[in-house]
Amino acid sequence: MPSPDQPHAADGRTATAVTFIKESYIAMLKTNLTLRNPLQLFGGQSEDILTPGQFGGVLARAGVGKTALMVQIALNSMLNERNVLHISLNQPVNKASLWYRDIFGHLAAGHPAPQTDQLWESLLPHRFIMTFRAESFSVPRLEERLTDLIEQKIFIPRMLIVDGLSFDESIRDMLSELKKLARLHGLHAWFSIRTHRHQDPGPGGVPKQLADVDDMFAVAIELTPAGEEIHVRPLKGVSLAPEHPRLVLDPTTMLLKDTAA
Amino acid sequence: MKKDIRKVRNIGISAHIDSGKTTLTERILFYTDRIHAMHDVKGKDGVGAFMDSMELERERGITIASAATFCEWDGHEINIIDTPGHVDFTIEVERSLRVLDSAILVLCAVGGVQSQSITVDQQMRRYKVPCIAFVNKCDRSGANPFRVVNQLKQKLGHNAVAMQLPIGLESDFTGVIDLLTMKAVYFDGEKGETVRTEEIPEPMRDLALTKREELLDAVSMFSDELMEALLEEKEVGRDLILAALRRGVIARQLTPVFMGSAYKNKGVQLLLNAVSDLLPCPSDIENYALDMDQDEATVLLTSTSEDPLVALAFKLEDRTYGQLTYIRVYQGSLSKGDTIVNVRTGRKIKVGRVARMHADQMEEIETISAGYIGALFGIDCASGDTFVAPGISLTMTSMYVPKPVISLAITPKDHKAEINMSKALNRFTKEDPTFKTHVNPETNETIISGMGELHLEVYMERMQREYGAEVTAGAPRVAYRETITQKAEFDYLHKKQTGGSGQYGRVCGWMEPITDSDFEFDNQVVGGAIPTQFIAACEKGFRNCIAKGPKMEFPVTGVKIVINDGASHAVDSSDMAFQAAARGAFKQGYLKAKPVVQEPIMKVVVEAPTAFQGPVMGSLNQRRGMILGAQDEGPLCVIECLVPLAEMFGYSTVLRSLTQGQAQFTMEFSAYKQVPQSIAEELEKKLNEQKKKVA
Repeated sequence: MPSPDQPHAADGRTATAVTFIKESYIAMLKTNLTLRNPLQLFGGQSEDILTPGQFGGVLARAGVGKTALMVQIALNSMLNERNVLHISLNQPVNKASLWYRDIFGHLAAGHPAPQTDQLWESLLPHRFIMTFRAESFSVPRLEERLTDLIEQKIFIPRMLIVDGLSFDESIRDMLSELKKLARLHGLHAWFSIRTHRHQDPGPGGVPKQLADVDDMFAVAIELTPAGEEIHVRPLKGVSLAPEHPRLVLDPTTMLLKDTAA
Repeated sequence: MKKDIRKVRNIGISAHIDSGKTTLTERILFYTDRIHAMHDVKGKDGVGAFMDSMELERERGITIASAATFCEWDGHEINIIDTPGHVDFTIEVERSLRVLDSAILVLCAVGGVQSQSITVDQQMRRYKVPCIAFVNKCDRSGANPFRVVNQLKQKLGHNAVAMQLPIGLESDFTGVIDLLTMKAVYFDGEKGETVRTEEIPEPMRDLALTKREELLDAVSMFSDELMEALLEEKEVGRDLILAALRRGVIARQLTPVFMGSAYKNKGVQLLLNAVSDLLPCPSDIENYALDMDQDEATVLLTSTSEDPLVALAFKLEDRTYGQLTYIRVYQGSLSKGDTIVNVRTGRKIKVGRVARMHADQMEEIETISAGYIGALFGIDCASGDTFVAPGISLTMTSMYVPKPVISLAITPKDHKAEINMSKALNRFTKEDPTFKTHVNPETNETIISGMGELHLEVYMERMQREYGAEVTAGAPRVAYRETITQKAEFDYLHKKQTGGSGQYGRVCGWMEPITDSDFEFDNQVVGGAIPTQFIAACEKGFRNCIAKGPKMEFPVTGVKIVINDGASHAVDSSDMAFQAAARGAFKQGYLKAKPVVQEPIMKVVVEAPTAFQGPVMGSLNQRRGMILGAQDEGPLCVIECLVPLAEMFGYSTVLRSLTQGQAQFTMEFSAYKQVPQSIAEELEKKLNEQKKKVA
């Protein structure tokens, strides 16, 4: 109990101290979460492993965890205050948004709710979700939307997440157009690439979907289910860090498990 | 009134604005011979729809108050409540769903699952109301019922299954294929009153077979018998499918989707068949009450008219002949001359006249049986009160009432207007729990609060029309509030012992932010530092402070007060002294606890043609909006955004001019968030100016 004679001095000090502790806790939380950047586990690179105009791909069969891994990459960018434009084909905004909330919830699990809520609120302005119907998605259409956002200074993205694009025969043309767009706006992009169980992989075990457009991608990572685990295998552009010879996704949280010895 | 409860349906019709709920109700009433002429909601004849009985509703072409009616179809008695679509009148939807057994979710074949459909779906989920869906406006350009079925699955998570196939679409829409009977159904006659059944047109046969397969696949999950029959590739009868469908619907695990165009009189009769065949009767639904004598233990109500009465008053209307109370009888029956008890007040009431409502008309009856919706006259009660037979003490759980988010100061033109205004306000506040009014003691202005601009606008207009009260309105005000952001201690001594009877009280403790309630008080004083008889006075003192925060005079929320020490004087301590000490302590602690001002943030959903996406996003961005995402829906785009309410005044006009009148938006409360520093400073400046004016 402060002495009634000198309440103000003592209380003033306490108040400042409390604010400082709270703010530094959020900063610490942010650093903690950034340290869990999934890309850091690939050969020790920090932050983005792609430069503007470059593409990365996350390959897996349906339901294995492509979106979850890409959302982790996006969240890391948001934690570093870099804007992410998430393009989802055939999923409503709410559903895409829920992925972020869920993965962030898992990432921040164990930290006190008021601070994680506050951090979450501060991350939201760094994300913009755009959804298209797959059949009506085209690069000129995306460019039109993107220009709307950039010209009016509503949202200036640094990273693109493209989820749900079908990698069929016509994908090369679309990717070339997207590459031009990405270079123009200084963006790098991550794509989810759905593979199929019945298709045999191409040379070097690279799935057919990627093999056809391999030259367009700087980085490719494949997720393969094995028993109760999901293995993360670098296909191109990255290698596993020596301290993480084996990378595994936890199927319950969809977060990368720390397998360091 | 039917005696067989299995032949009764209590249904609601709810949907997004302008999906055609009222038009559909109008058609239902026509085909069931309840009305003899159909009028359009905003028709050229100027009559308006039957259910929109209020003059204002007919003029504006919107439903403001929910209206009840009843009709008969295929030996079933259907009690219908038509609800408003606009989110400002959401309480009407809320209270209707509270008492209904099932609902028809109307969706627009062009707009699909829109923002208000999502809200209505959440409300249905809250009250566990089973539903069937009706995809309306299949005649409109851009109609695509199967996209809507997919949206029902994706956006609302329904196990939606198409029961019909449209024959033609847009202007070529002529009828539907019933996947149950595998027949093509057309609606002939000037008003679609003649139902003609034909063989399925050959080009559509394959598609119909595939869709029927999908339907049977989904339905077979609810009947082993049907599953077996399908596995053995036996012929499955209509009744078997219907029984399985009904089971799925009642369990809320299946949503059959019907198609048509109410405006063009197509598909409504088949929907009525579905209401009789698939929706639950009152005894299919489990309704619970709380037994106040048994520590609020849950009691399952029986739905039989012979048991003691349990009924819920869900809506009040003030009419020329007194208060009209809409009531749903869950158990027992309610007859003229019965004595019933209002559980909340404990008062015994003798039932006078009993009626059934047909929009604004009524039919006097003798008894309201279990499972029915009716109305009582001249009974004084509040919305949400439970009535029971004498001797039992059961209470129904009340409905969710959202808090108002917007206020307006109103000034009557003259003395006569003032009297009329007060009569009108009295009535409106009693009828609508989301509409509040109070007098600001400093400015002496009457403040009305509600759920949105339209909500208040409608009441202002009704005041003038129905009561002749001419009032002028000030600028709308946002319901700001204050809260603290960190823990702070207080130690305050209130001492006045300078002659006369003295005052002495000291209160020590701390305050801290909480998120789950507005105010909590925790007494941790030990050893009688504050005598027990003064603890209540301390709490009262703190409570008085939260009505008007010391920072900006907005109500304070989310504060927990803990007192752990203090001092008293044998002679000079009193309730008043401790109340004053608590007030002083609150002020002392509050300013140290980093108070902030919060403002209501609204979830705004704008639907606009894709060409206008850029300007619309720009307009939202200018309003401090945080755009969550943009959804491309073919010809339309849907922009979801969080915008402070304070920035949304007059947005409808801006949006209209930006999009040549082709966009619409809905807005609902999302959360309270801290206002930015610059806005807080502006508010403070305004407050100081106001204070100067008053002085």
